[in-house]
Amino acid sequence: MERHEISRREFVRIAALLGVAAPAAYKLAGSTPAFAEAANSPFPAPDANAKRGGILRVAMQVQKMEDPATYAWAEMSNQTRHILEYLAMTGPDNVTRPMLAESWEVSEDLKTWTFNLRRGVKWHNGDAFVADHVVFNVKRWLDPQLGSANIGLSTFAAMLEETGEKDGEGNPIKRTIEGAVEAVDSHTVRFNLSRPVLSVPEDLYNYPTAIAHPSFTAPLSDNAIGTGPFALAELKVGDKCVLKRVTKTADGQDFEYWGGDVYLDEIHYYNFDEDNQLTAFAGGDVDAIYEFAVEQIELAKALPGTIIAARTAQTLCCRFQVNQPPFDDLRVRQALVKSVDNAAIKELVYPEDGDVAENHHVAPIHPEYFALPPLRRDVEGAKALLKEAGYDESNPLKITIDVGNTDGPWHQTVCEAIRDQMKDAGIELSINVMPPSKYWEIWDKTACGATAWTHRPLGTMALSLGYRTGVPWNETNFASAEFDAALDDAEATFEVEPRRAKMETVQRLLQDQAVMIQPVYRPVYTIVKDRVTGYPAHPTQYHQFNRVWVA
Amino acid sequence: MLKLILRRLAQMVLIMAVVSFVLFVIFDSDKFKKQIAVAELGGFAVSALTEEDYRAWLASKGLDVPFHERYANWMANLFQGDLGHSFEKNTEVAGLLADRLLNTGILAFWVFALMIPIALTLGVIAGIKEGSPQDRVTSFISVFFTSIPEIATAIILTVIFALGLQWLPAKSAMIGGWNWQELVLPVMTLVLYDFGYVARMTRASMAEVMTSQYIRTAILKGIPRNRVILRHALRNALIAPFTVIVLQLNWLLSGVVVVEVFFQYDGFGKMLLEAALFGDIYVIQAGTLVAVFVAVLSQIISDIGYTFLNPRIRFN
Repeated sequence: MERHEISRREFVRIAALLGVAAPAAYKLAGSTPAFAEAANSPFPAPDANAKRGGILRVAMQVQKMEDPATYAWAEMSNQTRHILEYLAMTGPDNVTRPMLAESWEVSEDLKTWTFNLRRGVKWHNGDAFVADHVVFNVKRWLDPQLGSANIGLSTFAAMLEETGEKDGEGNPIKRTIEGAVEAVDSHTVRFNLSRPVLSVPEDLYNYPTAIAHPSFTAPLSDNAIGTGPFALAELKVGDKCVLKRVTKTADGQDFEYWGGDVYLDEIHYYNFDEDNQLTAFAGGDVDAIYEFAVEQIELAKALPGTIIAARTAQTLCCRFQVNQPPFDDLRVRQALVKSVDNAAIKELVYPEDGDVAENHHVAPIHPEYFALPPLRRDVEGAKALLKEAGYDESNPLKITIDVGNTDGPWHQTVCEAIRDQMKDAGIELSINVMPPSKYWEIWDKTACGATAWTHRPLGTMALSLGYRTGVPWNETNFASAEFDAALDDAEATFEVEPRRAKMETVQRLLQDQAVMIQPVYRPVYTIVKDRVTGYPAHPTQYHQFNRVWVA
Repeated sequence: MLKLILRRLAQMVLIMAVVSFVLFVIFDSDKFKKQIAVAELGGFAVSALTEEDYRAWLASKGLDVPFHERYANWMANLFQGDLGHSFEKNTEVAGLLADRLLNTGILAFWVFALMIPIALTLGVIAGIKEGSPQDRVTSFISVFFTSIPEIATAIILTVIFALGLQWLPAKSAMIGGWNWQELVLPVMTLVLYDFGYVARMTRASMAEVMTSQYIRTAILKGIPRNRVILRHALRNALIAPFTVIVLQLNWLLSGVVVVEVFFQYDGFGKMLLEAALFGDIYVIQAGTLVAVFVAVLSQIISDIGYTFLNPRIRFN
């Protein structure tokens, strides 16, 4: 630490990965931030000034709570996150800490992960939380017929093997590897992975990995037994979701929550579409909102309350399928990338917050981000490449990008800005706007599309999910043995500094292949009333209100 | 008359059968089944499913049953009062529909209660003397408000009365229970949008009646002007607006979706929009049947009313 080889946040992260309690890690790092101060707790430090009791009213889309393993939206996970909990928790500072797992150990080869579960954790029905419950959940997630997105995560993909058979579309059929997850004893669970995975703790806070009681049957809303501090009191989809503090277990005993102080008595989610949440806040209907769009920021500034802008790795990839003409020509892809000024687009769309992205899908917020030289727009260079590829003024390059605005109208704004910039290089870009649900049907099939990717705590995670050869979410059809090997190498490196050095190759390889124009890492905006304290600005909009209180 | 009503009801049943069949055909397509899968599981998860897993998921939702079987089951359940289950809301469609219809009914009631007297009064005042200052002022106000789209009126009213003066709530989600104040802005928006149309119809009708021979005769006979207007002109002048007003029922049921969504008022139109975006087939089916029923019913009421108001119309 004296040599300042790694930052304080990186040190705390490594310590957390190694199972060192957060307070101890921060102490070793030589500082005591407000966050993660409580003894071995993933939550912020208790607030001596906190007022206990009260209701927090939040505007958000209220969705059904069917099967947490198949949740498709962060909103439904937010309704559930106060009831069911996770083995690990990634905090607003993007550091992952133990939650229901008290600590973990990892083997040198990153293939064997051992989780020591927290003792004394009770379910709402009075049962003790034990290792078999974790095994039950992991096995459920691995059942391909369940349709859980967890299967796509690196950790769980490394628990599956191909059967040798193929389905009707020629995709390999997979099954769980025998012994991939095992209960070592009542409070120890071990994951035996087929390949090294770095992001196991981070994957365990991905929203469909909430730990459900072994008696669980869908829908969760009919009998939501959890370990969290709140229970579901009322759910009316499209109307409201009311959560109330658990004080007694189902068998009448006092419920002592393992996570310490929780200040709120109730959390009320009220259904407001995203466009209407800020107006609902302005009208005094709610104390906080899920999100408001950047277009509404001037209105937000005019309102009494605190605007919270979370720095994230949420992004838009205007990507090309590298095996589809005309994008199968590297010169064309490079010309497209060269014709665009990412920094100018970021400035146009998110002038006050956010980060400029660099077409390699690793964000400055990621611990292993390697700062490559800034990208520069080169219109003349783009024209020269196009000429080489057979395009000129008499035969201009004409392409169409599909846009679903799945994350808001800013997607379209970005594409329109790209279109205007490309004109200077003689490229004619048409924008095909479609409804969000329609876009999700073609997102991995269209030759050129604008796809939103959510925040992931590590830089390697999105790369592993989206750019490895043949992975299900490889929407660009990018296939490079060199890239895969470089990413393997980076992912097998536990410590941040050496991994960052290896990320230089990974990022450069992807950037040079020009598979996408990725102009911005967007901020996430929300607003809270001044009477609300401790409201977290999480980069994935995950709500964890344990230490939130209202005056 | 009875024959007319029976014929209209038969037409209604036929339309319902055709519409429900067509909707079922559309929503039975692979495309719409995929839409439900994407809405339920998310685009990323669906793309990770193998064909076999996707089929298993369809089976778990009952979407793998052959079309004719699903349609027959739905029809059989319909006759027993079971409208099916909502995929999106995870609740019985009948209860959801009843709730939303009640909310829209309350909204429609207050819109009618305010709009009809205002529109008729202004229309009559304008039509009594065509080209007079009162006619011009009324016509300008009517055209002005009707020309502004509902969404613009809603925004302007919200900015003035909710965000500016803070007299009224900005949204009508009724999160703290039923609150009449939350109904004021949506009702105002709809009344402002709609009254002009009815007023213009009334004005045109009144103006036409006022130029007719029997009114001129009545005036020349020396009957006081007020009596001529109230006793002789008004009844005939109300025939056309009556038809228009009854047909507004249709609009208030499913045409006010913009206002319901803007104010987050949980009405029938908002329900139908959400169901369409999700691909929630049983909600769409039930909503469509209700919309057809109200459309036909409003036409029947309009026909019957027209008969009573216009002595020249008689049914054999």
